[in-house]
Amino acid sequence: MASSLASTPVFPSCGARRGARCVARASASAVAVAVASPSAARTHYEVLGVGAGASRCEIKAAYRRLAREVHPDAGGRGDEGFIRLHDAYATLADPDERARYDRAVAVAAPVRSGSWAAPSGSGSGFRPRRWETDQCW
Amino acid sequence: MRPGYSPFPLLLPPSTSFSPLRTPRIARPQQLLFSYPKKRHRAPPGDSPTRRRRRRRRLAKMAEQLYTVASDSETTGEDKSQPSFPDVAIGIDIGTSKCSVAVWNGHQVELLKNTRNQKGMRSYVMFKDDTLSAGVTGGAAKENAHEERDILSGSAIFNMKRLIGRMDTDEVVQASKTLPFLVQTLGIGVRPFIAALVNNMWRSTTPEEVLAIFLLELKALVEMHLKHPVRNAVLTIPVAFSRFQQTRIERACAMAGLHVLRLMPEPTAVALLYAQQQQQLVNDNMGSGIEKIALIFNMGAGYCDAAVAATAGGVSQIRALSGCTAGGEDILQNIMRHVVPNFDNLYAGQTMDRIQSMSLLRMATQDAIHKLVNQETVEINIDLGNGHKVSKVLDHSEFEQVNRAIFDKCEKIINQCLVDAKLVPEDINDVILVGGCSKIPRIRSLVLGLCKKEISYKNIDALEAAVSGAALEGAIASGVNDPSGSLDLLTIQATPMNLGIRANGDSFAAIIPRNTTVPARRDMLFTTTHDNQTEALIAVYEGEGERAEDNHLLGYFKITGIPAAPKGTVEISVCMDIDATNVLRVFAGVVKPQGPATPPFIEVRMPTLDDGHGWCGQALAKMYGKTLDLAVLPKKLQP
Repeated sequence: MASSLASTPVFPSCGARRGARCVARASASAVAVAVASPSAARTHYEVLGVGAGASRCEIKAAYRRLAREVHPDAGGRGDEGFIRLHDAYATLADPDERARYDRAVAVAAPVRSGSWAAPSGSGSGFRPRRWETDQCW
Repeated sequence: MRPGYSPFPLLLPPSTSFSPLRTPRIARPQQLLFSYPKKRHRAPPGDSPTRRRRRRRRLAKMAEQLYTVASDSETTGEDKSQPSFPDVAIGIDIGTSKCSVAVWNGHQVELLKNTRNQKGMRSYVMFKDDTLSAGVTGGAAKENAHEERDILSGSAIFNMKRLIGRMDTDEVVQASKTLPFLVQTLGIGVRPFIAALVNNMWRSTTPEEVLAIFLLELKALVEMHLKHPVRNAVLTIPVAFSRFQQTRIERACAMAGLHVLRLMPEPTAVALLYAQQQQQLVNDNMGSGIEKIALIFNMGAGYCDAAVAATAGGVSQIRALSGCTAGGEDILQNIMRHVVPNFDNLYAGQTMDRIQSMSLLRMATQDAIHKLVNQETVEINIDLGNGHKVSKVLDHSEFEQVNRAIFDKCEKIINQCLVDAKLVPEDINDVILVGGCSKIPRIRSLVLGLCKKEISYKNIDALEAAVSGAALEGAIASGVNDPSGSLDLLTIQATPMNLGIRANGDSFAAIIPRNTTVPARRDMLFTTTHDNQTEALIAVYEGEGERAEDNHLLGYFKITGIPAAPKGTVEISVCMDIDATNVLRVFAGVVKPQGPATPPFIEVRMPTLDDGHGWCGQALAKMYGKTLDLAVLPKKLQP
């Protein structure tokens, strides 16, 4: 999945959508960077904050702990942080996927990822739908 | 209307008790026409239980002076935008047969009772002359109280949840034609015609309207209890509900003046309650804190769903969801057809005597099914009129034989859930059985058998679990903080159905597969199917079918201005995005060739369809299927 996401084009429309949210965008992406990515290219291990030898239990625990910070329902800003966290978890929690990922990382030094956070600030924030006009008509 | 003036000033949430992130972004009014008496009842910073109690008493007193008219000059400073009641979302479980409502009372979830002291209120709306009354009050005073035979007289509409958002080709709608009110179908994929009997005349209505009337009465009940207006609600829905059906529920809520904060699949609401109980055990040093896996099986009158949830540390992750339209109503109809073999001939066409006769049969059968839960055999003896009598003894094996197809469906969704969650029965710690039909012995033994368990989880009430979970979610989503930490919970939801577009002829290309964790974003590349194809149709579907037509059409749009090129060389990206509030957006556009000659991307919020989705899908395929078709770009060609 990571590779297909890496190919995700920068949606030109992303930034312009959700008019009311434009203001929040700059700060949202800033926070996303601060919380979720100290550097642009991060391995799944770095996203979860675990070592390369982490056990499945440690990975799960790290996922839960971080989910409580970055999930939009838990106060995280935008979906990006959580989507990336879940992506890392989904890969590392599955032994086969993890082995494949480890090989891929070992072969090609960390050049990938990062690019896909680029649809910058499609970060949504917790956005309860507004009045009924927003819901049905 | 003056700018800045809101017609709903009473319904605004307070800004103080909300974190900025959770504050619903609603235009704050500059001046309030109506306002509550100010200051006195705002929560003081150091809130103690005694103070809270005192405040509640004051609130009770204030209910009498609810609508105080304040002049513009009185509403100055910061006060003007701060109505003082905490706008905590209520939880509603609209069942096919019964509804319930619950609220977070500051310490725990409390189910509300109606004037007849019922927590589970029969779901129906009675049409009588010019008056409408719903099952919340059930006709209010004792002498007017609706009895089951009134509800089955044709004057009441019920089973709204089975009818809402379905087209007339749907088998659930077809099966609803045996109900005492009028369900007329044309079989072309448009909405069915529904009507109630008023003074010997069929008066038309819609499932949304009926549900809205019911919700209005329910809202009034809650406001009477809480003594302040309510605006936000979390509702539970079946897993099998399409996104189109979800919009119908939202519309019914809007008609009733309720804002939908969340629509929660029923088993995930139960999972939330389970997560809270597990967290409580850890807090009390009784639990181990290690991950627990629960399989939740919920079967009511209209739907049946299953979910697998992994819970630890107050975080409950929905690993898999599946559901189908099998429920008590189907069991009832099977038994009715079994005891009256020429049922369909006998009750074809709704004449007054047939409606009456069928209501007698329905009541007797329902009664028998209920009795069979605790008895070995049950006797059905009824006089259906016109010299037609039924006398039958029913036992468990016969009951199970007649309903075998339904039990098979249950088995299928549980197995699918386990496979999707990549689990074996041994991995499951607890089996939670909820919903009215979970009392049926065969259902219990079937679910427990599939999960290889002897007993089910005990601390959850089968009929109150879903609504309690919804009220919990309501409190959490409203930003309520509980000092004891009992609201410190997070549910990581999954999407129950495949989402994708029509491609390669009539195929369905799933872009977000079912049970993907939400929020989610996935994309897929497509290409043109003709040389110099400049336009392409994006028809968005949801469902489990392999052919697009077997799924629910959510909406459609065209990509125009595709640069002229040989077929198969243009790359079109279709990206789907579900945010944390479960809103689906589709982005599409040309990604290769790049350059100034390519059109801008298109973003569409789905569903866009208002009605007639079955008919519309066929028309689209017939008109544009060949010329504007897309093909999935084979993976090996993708970069």
